[in-house]
Amino acid sequence: MKGIIFALLGGAFITLQGVANARISQDIGTWQAATITQLTGFIVAFIILMFVKERGEWKKFKQVNPLYMLGGAFAAIIIFSNVTAIQHIGVTLSISAIMIAQLSITFIIDINGWFGLDRKKMRAPQFIGIGLMIAGVVILGF
Amino acid sequence: MMLGLIMAIIAGSLVGIQNIFNSKVSERAGSWPTTTLVLAMGFLASLTMGLIFEGKELFNLENMKLWYWFSGLIGVGVVTCMVRGIRLLGPTYSIMIVMTAQLAFALLWDSLGWLGLDKVPFTSKQLIGVLVIVGGIIVFKIGGRPEKQKASVKV
Repeated sequence: MKGIIFALLGGAFITLQGVANARISQDIGTWQAATITQLTGFIVAFIILMFVKERGEWKKFKQVNPLYMLGGAFAAIIIFSNVTAIQHIGVTLSISAIMIAQLSITFIIDINGWFGLDRKKMRAPQFIGIGLMIAGVVILGF
Repeated sequence: MMLGLIMAIIAGSLVGIQNIFNSKVSERAGSWPTTTLVLAMGFLASLTMGLIFEGKELFNLENMKLWYWFSGLIGVGVVTCMVRGIRLLGPTYSIMIVMTAQLAFALLWDSLGWLGLDKVPFTSKQLIGVLVIVGGIIVFKIGGRPEKQKASVKV
């Protein structure tokens, strides 16, 4: 039950984040919104980090491929495109298209075993699932 | 319409790749150090892009409202809930619920037009569209795929 509540809240927060960014962008500009949300998020995460057991673990960053450590930088483009999408096509259609793209790219990476992931076989349910989701977006958008 | 969809597809693809990269980092360094690093990188990248496209105008925050300063907290909430949800339910079911909740709240938001966004009226077409997508998520997530899927889930 607790897990379900966390998952529900997680989903609600993801949507809220997109909406809040879109709202803030209207007032102060998209790059400004991205810079401020990432900066304040960083400050809070850093403060929390100081109080958790894991705090010494950052030394292990040295063992990580530097490419993977740059992942966070995508946020600038993610926030910009997310905000632009919400302003043009609304929250529901944006979130739907984002989810489909996300599942599809993850699926393609899994199949090919890119980035050192275990290769996975393609299965019918995943194609049917993506097909259904695209059908849903078509119903929403047209 | 097309521009909005293309932007959404770019955002979603980058989120997918970022999740994989982040989970690679957190395998070694733990979740809070990773979250902190991810947000630091996001800040530096946004600052750089902002300076390239807007120069000094980036620091013109005339219409800033107090709560905007706290919006970054939402991201911390996302990470905390996702990590705990995945730990308690496993990746498959938690992601399924997360995605369904995302859509349900999106629908709610569009139809209420909260926070001054354009209202998108709630119609049966929208409800059917969302239900079909949720059906797709369920088929995708529990349709005979091996449980091992960690790499694709962390936000």
